[in-house]
Amino acid sequence: MLTPPPEDKTATPTSSTPHNGSSSFDVVSTYNNTLSTDPLITKPVAAIESLISLLSASPPSTISETLSLLESATSELKESVPNSIAISAGTDLFQRYLISTLQQGSAQYTKSKGKRSSSSGDGEFRSIRAHLLANSRLFVQRAKESRGQIATVARRFVRDGCTVLTCGRSRVVAAVLSAAAEDGAKFRVVNAQDSHDALSNSSTDIVTELRRKDVPVATIAFAALATSLPHITFALAGAESVVENGGIISGMGTNQMGLLAKSAGKPFYVVAESHKFVRIYPLSGDDLPLGQKVLDFRTEGGEERNEHEGKRKAEGEVVDFTPPDLITALVTESGVQTPSAVSEELIKIWS
Amino acid sequence: MPSQNDELEKKIPNGKQKVASIAEQTSATNGTAKAAKGSEQGGKLADGPKEKELSGKEKKELAKAQKIAKRAAEKQKQQGQPVVDLAVGNKGDLSKEAGKTEPLGPATPTSKTQHKSSGSTSAGAQSSLPHRQAPSHAAPIHAEPEKENKNVALFDHLYGHPRRTTVAGAGKDVHPAVLALGLQMRNYVICGSSARCVSMLLVFKRVIESYTIPSRNSLPRHLTTHLSSQIDYIVSCRPISISMGNAIRWLKVEISNVDVSTPESQAKSDLCDSIDTYVREKVTVADQVIANKANDKIEEGDVIMTFAKSSIVQQTLVEAFRRGKTFRVIVIDSRPLLEGKNLARALADLGLEVQYSLTHGISHVISHATKVFLGAHAMMSTGLYSRAGTAIVTMSAKEANVPVIVCCESVKLTERVALDSFVHNEVAPAEELMIQGRTSSLLSKWEDVPNLQVLNLMYDLTPAEYVNMVVTEYGIIPPSSVPVIIRLSTNS
Repeated sequence: MLTPPPEDKTATPTSSTPHNGSSSFDVVSTYNNTLSTDPLITKPVAAIESLISLLSASPPSTISETLSLLESATSELKESVPNSIAISAGTDLFQRYLISTLQQGSAQYTKSKGKRSSSSGDGEFRSIRAHLLANSRLFVQRAKESRGQIATVARRFVRDGCTVLTCGRSRVVAAVLSAAAEDGAKFRVVNAQDSHDALSNSSTDIVTELRRKDVPVATIAFAALATSLPHITFALAGAESVVENGGIISGMGTNQMGLLAKSAGKPFYVVAESHKFVRIYPLSGDDLPLGQKVLDFRTEGGEERNEHEGKRKAEGEVVDFTPPDLITALVTESGVQTPSAVSEELIKIWS
Repeated sequence: MPSQNDELEKKIPNGKQKVASIAEQTSATNGTAKAAKGSEQGGKLADGPKEKELSGKEKKELAKAQKIAKRAAEKQKQQGQPVVDLAVGNKGDLSKEAGKTEPLGPATPTSKTQHKSSGSTSAGAQSSLPHRQAPSHAAPIHAEPEKENKNVALFDHLYGHPRRTTVAGAGKDVHPAVLALGLQMRNYVICGSSARCVSMLLVFKRVIESYTIPSRNSLPRHLTTHLSSQIDYIVSCRPISISMGNAIRWLKVEISNVDVSTPESQAKSDLCDSIDTYVREKVTVADQVIANKANDKIEEGDVIMTFAKSSIVQQTLVEAFRRGKTFRVIVIDSRPLLEGKNLARALADLGLEVQYSLTHGISHVISHATKVFLGAHAMMSTGLYSRAGTAIVTMSAKEANVPVIVCCESVKLTERVALDSFVHNEVAPAEELMIQGRTSSLLSKWEDVPNLQVLNLMYDLTPAEYVNMVVTEYGIIPPSSVPVIIRLSTNS
C-alpha cells in the first residue's frame, strides 16, 4: 500500500517547477524517482534520501543556509502530495538529526560560541557536512534494514496453526509473513481487499508471494471481514505513519479491521519501522491533515459519481486513522511496544 | 462475678476519654481499622461515639476481651444456654441486646483472664498518658463539642486536624505575609493549583528578603527549616497542592545548593531571582505555550465543554476568541465553590456564547459538545486529579465519544500513583455544603441530626483511559507519558 501511484509522477513536476529557484535540483522528482525505482523503500526514507541528494548536490554553505534550504525543500515536497504526514516523519527526523549533529559537531570543533564570524568555522562546517552526508547514507541503510529486524521480532507471533488476518499490501507485513513461512511455520492468511480487487482475482504481491511459499491465502472483500473473523487468530497490519498517541495512519479499511478485531476480542498487531513515527497528536481521524475527501454527498448523477471515483484513485491511495485503543501492540525494530510507548520514543528523539 | 465485669466496663471508657484527643490525632493511621471494628464493637459498648476514639493499644485489648467473651458465650451455647440473645449480640445491631449478652461472659471460668487483661489495659493506658496527654493541651480545638462523630468512616484517614481559622497559636517565626496567605487560601480567596503555587512562591520571596541568618548558622542549613515552619502554617490552613509541593521541593534544593561562602544579601537576591525565573518559566510562559498548543485543537464551530474554572483553560479559550475562531462554550459547574460562574461570566463578557449548567445537567448537554477541555490539580500517569466532579464530566464525555483534553503545566505533574479518590484527597469543612443564609433548611442544623454525616470532598480521580491527551509546555502527550515529562522537566 506504500507504493506510490504512477499518477503522482506525472502530476508533480508541473507543480514543483515554479518553486525551484535556489538550485537546479528538483527534490520532488528525486523523491518520486526514488520511490518508483526502489520498491522496498518507504516514504519517509525516500524523503530523507532526496534531502541528502539535495544536500550533496548543493554547494556547501553556512549552517543557517543549509537549514533554510532544507526547510524550503521540505515544504516543496510536502506540497507535492495530498497527504504529507509520511513525508514529514522522514523530513522531521532528518532535520532533527542534522541539528543535533551540527550541535555536537560545533561543540566538538569550535571552542568559542561565535561560529559565524570566524573564517575557520567555514572549514569546520565543511568537515561536519561531509561527516553528516556519510552518516546520512548509513542512516538510510539502517532504516531499510529495520524491516528485516521487525520480521524477526514479529515472526514469533505467527505460530503453527494460526490464521492471520491482514489487509492492504503492506511490505512489512509481507516481510513478517514471508519470514515465518521460510522458517517453516504452518499458518494461513486471510487478506482483506477492496471489493473489486478481491473479486477480480488479480492477486497482489503479498498474496502471490505467500502462495508461492506454500502458505494458503484467502482473499476476501472488506465486507466479508466480520463473517470471517471467528476463524482468525490475530490481525496484523502495516502502517504508513504512527502518530504520537500510538494510533496509526494506514490504508483505508485498517480502522475498520481494528474495530472489528476489538469487538471480536482478537489481538490487533501493527508492524512499523520507528522512522514512521511522526510528531502529530490527533484527537481523531478528522483531526489529521490527510487531504482526502471520503464523504461525498450528492443527489442523482450516477455517471458523475463514476467519474469522481476515478478521480479519487488518481489522487493517491486513501488512508484512515486507527486510534491507539484498538491496537494491542506495535512491533518496531526495537521490539514490541504498547501504543503509548510511541510518545515516549518521540520525546526521546525530540529532546 | 457480674459486678466485676461492670467495673471493667466502666474502667475502659474512663481510659478512653483521657486519650480521646490523642486518638483524634492518630486517626490518620488507624482510621480504617477503626471503621472496620466500629460495627463489631458498636453493640458491646453502650457509649457508642466515644468508643471510636480509642488508641490502638486499647482497641487491641478490647477486641481481645470481646473475643474471649464471645468464646465463653459459645461455650454456654453448647452447654444449652439460650441462643437468641447471643446471635443478636454478636451481630452488634442493638445496644440493648448487646447489654444483655455481656453478663454472659463473666459467668464462665474465663472471666479471670478477662479481668487480668482488662487490668493491664487500664494500667497501660494510664502509664502512657503522661507523655501523650501533653500535645492535647496544645491543641484543644480537637475536642469536638458534639457527642456523635461526624466524620465519614470511609474517609476518616483524610480528616486530619480541622483547618485553622485564626492566626492565633501560629508559630512566632511565621512571616506576616504567610499568615495572611494561609487565611486567604483557607477562605478560597486564593484558589486553584497554579494560583496557590505562584502566590506561595511570591510570599516566600518576601520571607527570604526579610530573613537574616542567625549567628553560628548558615543559610543553606537554616533557611530550609525556617521555610518549613512557614509551610507547616500554610498546611494547617489548607493542605498544600501537588504543584506547591513540587515548587517547595525545587526551592529547597535551590537553597541547599547555595554556596556557604556567598554573602548573605547576595544569596538572598539570587534565590529571589531564581524564584522569579521559576514562576516565569513554569507558569507564565508555560501557560502561553499551552494556550497556543491547545488552540490548535479548537476548530471553527466547536462546542467546548469545561468543568469548574481553570485559569489555563480560560486562557486557551480567550486566545481562541482573540484569533477570531467561532465556537461555543459550555461551562459545567458544581457546588459548593461554583467556580465556573466566574469563568462563564468572564467569557460571556468577552462576547463568547456561553452555556452554564450544573453537573446534574451533564448528560443532557454533553450531546452538544465536541470537545472537553479540563484543567488539573495534578496529573499522574494513572489519571487526572482534579476538582470533584471532573470524573463524571470525563466519563460522560467518553460515553458520548467526545475527546477529553487536559491542559496542565509540568509543575502539576506528579509521579505519585493513585487508583481511586479515597486514598488521597482533601476533605473540606462540611459546613461549606450548607447554603449560606438559609436557616430554615433541613440541613442547617445537620450537626444535631443523629446518624447524619456530611462529606465535602475537594477532588476526584479520573482514570487515565478517560483522558485523550494532556497538553503540557513540553508538548502534547498521552497520560502514560507523564513520567517522561517529569524526568525532562526536573533534569533540565
